[in-house]
Amino acid sequence: MKLLLPVVIPILAGILVLVSKEIRKNRKMVTGLSAAVLALELVLVFTAVLSEDSLVLCRLTDTIDISFRIDDVSRLFAGLTTLMWFLVGIYATAYMEHEHDEYRFFGFYLMVEGVLMGIDFSSNLITLYVFYELMTLTSLPLVLHELTKEAVQAGFKYLFYSVAGAFLALFGIFFLASVSPSLEFTPGGVLDGRALAGKEGLLLASACCMVVGFGTKAGMFPLHGWLPTAHPVAPAPASAVMSGVITKAGILAIIRVFYYIIGPDLIRGTWVQTVWMLLSLTTVFMGSMLAYREQVFKKRLAFSTVSQVSYVMFGLSLLHPTAFAGALSHVVFHSVIKNGLFMSAGAVIEKTGWTRVEQMRGLGKVMPVTLACYTAVSLALIGIPPASGFVSKWYLATGALSSGTGIWGFLGPVVLLISALLTAGYLLPIAIQGFFPGQDFDSSELKKRKLIGNEPSFRMVLPIMVLAIAAVLLGCFPGSLLQMITSIGDLVF
Amino acid sequence: MKEAIEFMIPGFCGMGMHFKLDGFRLVYVCIAVFMWTVSGVFSREYMAHYKHHGRYYSFFWATFGATVGVFLSADLYTTFIFFEIMSFTSYVWVAFDERRESLRAAETYLAVAVIGGMVMLMGLFLLYDLFGTLEMDKLGGMAGAVLAGGEAPGWTAFQGVEAGREAVSQGAAAGAGLQASGAWAGSRIFSSPVTQLYTAAALMLFGFGAKAGCVPLHIWLPKAHPEAPAPASALLSGILTKAGVFGIIFLSCVLFEADGAWGQLIAVLGLVTMFLGAFLAVFSVNLKRTLACSSVSQIGFILTGIGMSCLLKNAGEDNSLAVRGAFLHMVNHSLFKLVLFLCAGAVFMNLHQLNLNDIRGFGRKKPALKFCFLMGALGIGGIPLWSGYISKTLIHESIVEYMKAGGGSVFWKGAEWVFLFTGGMTVAYMLKLFAALFVEVHPERQAEFDAKPAMNRASKAVLTAAAVILPVFGMTAHLTMDRIADMGQGFFGGGGGHGHVVSYFSLENLKGGLISIGIGIFLYVVVIRGLLMEKEEGTGGKRYADRWPSWLDLENLVYRPVLQTALPGVCGAVFGFLDKYLVSVAVTVFLTVSTVAGRCADQAVDGIVRLARATTHSQKPEPKHHDSNQAAYVLGHMADKLAAFGDRIRRLAKGNKKKAEAGTGRVSVIPEFVRREQELKVTGKLVEESFSFGLMLFSIGLCLTLGYLLVVFLIW
Repeated sequence: MKLLLPVVIPILAGILVLVSKEIRKNRKMVTGLSAAVLALELVLVFTAVLSEDSLVLCRLTDTIDISFRIDDVSRLFAGLTTLMWFLVGIYATAYMEHEHDEYRFFGFYLMVEGVLMGIDFSSNLITLYVFYELMTLTSLPLVLHELTKEAVQAGFKYLFYSVAGAFLALFGIFFLASVSPSLEFTPGGVLDGRALAGKEGLLLASACCMVVGFGTKAGMFPLHGWLPTAHPVAPAPASAVMSGVITKAGILAIIRVFYYIIGPDLIRGTWVQTVWMLLSLTTVFMGSMLAYREQVFKKRLAFSTVSQVSYVMFGLSLLHPTAFAGALSHVVFHSVIKNGLFMSAGAVIEKTGWTRVEQMRGLGKVMPVTLACYTAVSLALIGIPPASGFVSKWYLATGALSSGTGIWGFLGPVVLLISALLTAGYLLPIAIQGFFPGQDFDSSELKKRKLIGNEPSFRMVLPIMVLAIAAVLLGCFPGSLLQMITSIGDLVF
Repeated sequence: MKEAIEFMIPGFCGMGMHFKLDGFRLVYVCIAVFMWTVSGVFSREYMAHYKHHGRYYSFFWATFGATVGVFLSADLYTTFIFFEIMSFTSYVWVAFDERRESLRAAETYLAVAVIGGMVMLMGLFLLYDLFGTLEMDKLGGMAGAVLAGGEAPGWTAFQGVEAGREAVSQGAAAGAGLQASGAWAGSRIFSSPVTQLYTAAALMLFGFGAKAGCVPLHIWLPKAHPEAPAPASALLSGILTKAGVFGIIFLSCVLFEADGAWGQLIAVLGLVTMFLGAFLAVFSVNLKRTLACSSVSQIGFILTGIGMSCLLKNAGEDNSLAVRGAFLHMVNHSLFKLVLFLCAGAVFMNLHQLNLNDIRGFGRKKPALKFCFLMGALGIGGIPLWSGYISKTLIHESIVEYMKAGGGSVFWKGAEWVFLFTGGMTVAYMLKLFAALFVEVHPERQAEFDAKPAMNRASKAVLTAAAVILPVFGMTAHLTMDRIADMGQGFFGGGGGHGHVVSYFSLENLKGGLISIGIGIFLYVVVIRGLLMEKEEGTGGKRYADRWPSWLDLENLVYRPVLQTALPGVCGAVFGFLDKYLVSVAVTVFLTVSTVAGRCADQAVDGIVRLARATTHSQKPEPKHHDSNQAAYVLGHMADKLAAFGDRIRRLAKGNKKKAEAGTGRVSVIPEFVRREQELKVTGKLVEESFSFGLMLFSIGLCLTLGYLLVVFLIW
């Protein structure tokens, strides 16, 4: 029951918000109810993850069932998801005031949270897949929200990419179901190398399909295209959670498949690992490079997500405990940071209507606190010590070097550092031009629009501040987080 | 200080922090405190007319914390953390003015800092991978072992992979596909631990060198220093660059304690940096830029000393001269630049100008300013009795000593002369600054200058206090400087020994200093007064010609075009293309191909039918009767005629002529004939086809039989 409630309650609440006319009409009611459900969900999830529960929801056939179980990975992802959902939710209650159809946003926003809990708690591959597809469908309306032509096109792109990716992965699931003794997640994998004799080629091919397929959600090249299209058109809170949390669902699926079903030992040293490393490193570099050249702020952040989530992918592809620790810590750090960045971008859009980077000169005069928070999370993303990005990068790079993957182990850190350089190049100018617009900067335009010192409302600034502080403090004191991740790593390797 | 104090914060940033307070670090922390206090007091007056005081002071003290953190760090992880914080907090100083040039200089500063930091981090990754630790004390011994041909602890151990490889080969015992790859796992890119060690150290040298202002990464100094507020320039030049030097000392004196190749690299870098910096300083006509170039040059002196200590140890000699010289020059340079930049600050805060032609004669009637600047100039110029002379002499002696030990090659003779010549250039450009500020007369504004006080009492007091130290140190070298050197040399891997006691004022040692001074005066008179000054229009006097080689700016010539245009252009185009077109082209190709294939599949059956109709089952139009049924016509016609004739005869025979004429009433037999003929033809054709079909089957059967027989016979 503890496991069912966090999944069901947000979904039901979401449906309620969507269908009940009474609630739909009343803005206060929508936001109030949503905030209440988000807070309740926080409690529910934390009671759930503190237990050692498991639950079989229903049996589809004798061998396939929909079931939930808690382990350390689900603790990490579920905890992260609810916290982010809560903070972004609070932000959204203020942000969505200037948007239309709030009820639709919040309805689906709540539903997606429930679905994500389903993914996090799922104890076998089938359950994971079911909720994975549901996630695509329920999050689609968040992209479509504006209902402009671009939004609809972006929504379709998102849908097509996601479905294509999921089907690629589905091929792998079919294969695994046919050769694996079970599809229950077991640390270290359930496949037996001997029983697979003669089917190695097929195993590797399906593994490759799953990397690319689940990699779609994680924004990995070549199926990363939906991210930079979908993010700029979605409302800021939606882009925040899509970038910060939903991309991580792809990561979770990859972890579950490769570390809990197939097992890292069967992949290590094969061509699949090479392809995986190559794709993720290409994505890391490509994302940063394109972000560096992008002038639309939210699109820049979307490319940044493409790049950063592939840091995680690269860490996972190395199949090495240290790199694994780096990857999982980067999941947490990137989530914190990217939510903070997108919320800052949303704050800028909400207050000033500026969407392009070159417009943002002198932003420090408009919203100094927000921009300071932006600067802090930017530094964390670049990986400037002692902020958080540095810690994960350290483990990723040292893990890469000691993973014994030859040239890749060396190339990886190099690409990560070049990407960090580009990250500095695309994030810092906004902070710099914001705080140091130069002596020739004419602030009369800002004065005319009454923008000077016009910080967004408290409900918007608070979550950004919390995340900015978290982004720095998590880097300074990552002890307990790393401990948890190491214990996961000890199990799967 | 015999016992070092250590302090650790385990788990901070994952790896934990480790601080240590030993002699060297104590000296540098004291210098940091002193410099920040002096510039802090000076800032109060200097910053009085600026906005954003809060911003300035918060970053001022944040940088203090970070700098002290760098100097106290006992492992490189901690060093790196504080190094990066220091780079970013000091960035605000450079950008503080918000003028266009300041922002551009700040951009350069930040770019160098970030790139340097990243490259250094790569070095740290490699070093950590090799040794599994970044503790400075442990690394020295481990690196020594590797250089001596030993193994590094991290070299063979692949965590978790060994076990993994076993599992892979077990699991894939039956299938060759996975087994072959087992051998691939666990390969390394570097051929030996020594290569990896050198690569790591070179990368770290890049990072530390960028901060220290080592050529060719010195570009930020001549840009950032003139733009930053003067107290900040003093700190940037006096102590932030030393944080880079601190790292280079670690690399050279701890990691590569006695490595000849490394020592040569550092020494050559030092000589080049020293010469180029001084060369640029001679040409500069901007007060603070001259001082910045001078910083580059002085860092070159320090690096040369560090390089010599490596080389001397490699040659088996006592390296304490080089170590002490380098360390004392570090300390001295911090103090010189504090005094000199604050003097420049006093000029700038009154005039807001730095061009020598505009500030000529500003200090003529300002004894305190003149005194302070003079102390700094004499110190940095290496004039005997001032502290700079002591440290320069020690470094010079170490070169001489190495020549003696190494047999005095031409190269080192040249190096000695570069050293002395650069000392001469130092004297020349300081003379130029001093003459401009305190001797010459401004053609128009001299009265106005003389009426202005240079600075308030507090600034005057701290500046004088800082300036007095220089001659005091220089005159009581054995009492003061030797003791400081004793404290510091432990960090350089030197033993406790003094080497031999140097009598600083012996004739032999004075000779070097005097040669430099001689060269300096010559250069000043001939080059600066002769070549670098031009006639001033109107007054008939002379002014300083701006012959600053701005075209020789590495930043505009190489770094910016490459980093800002070429790389993003090329990579961005390639990846932009991939991003935009890869999937869409793939999808288009897929759609096209699958459409064509689908159409083909859809129409496959129809197509076969059509093909058959076109070829084997072609439906030729029905043949016309009279064409093909000629025989039937002819015969039928004949039969008809015959029958008609018969009828006619029969009727005639009956005698009814009239009746005989009236029509026949008989039906023509032609159609019947045609039908018959047709039937016959079809039957014939059928027979023919059946026959040919039968024949065909027969021949196929025959072939099969023959083939079978052949096979049977062949096999039997």
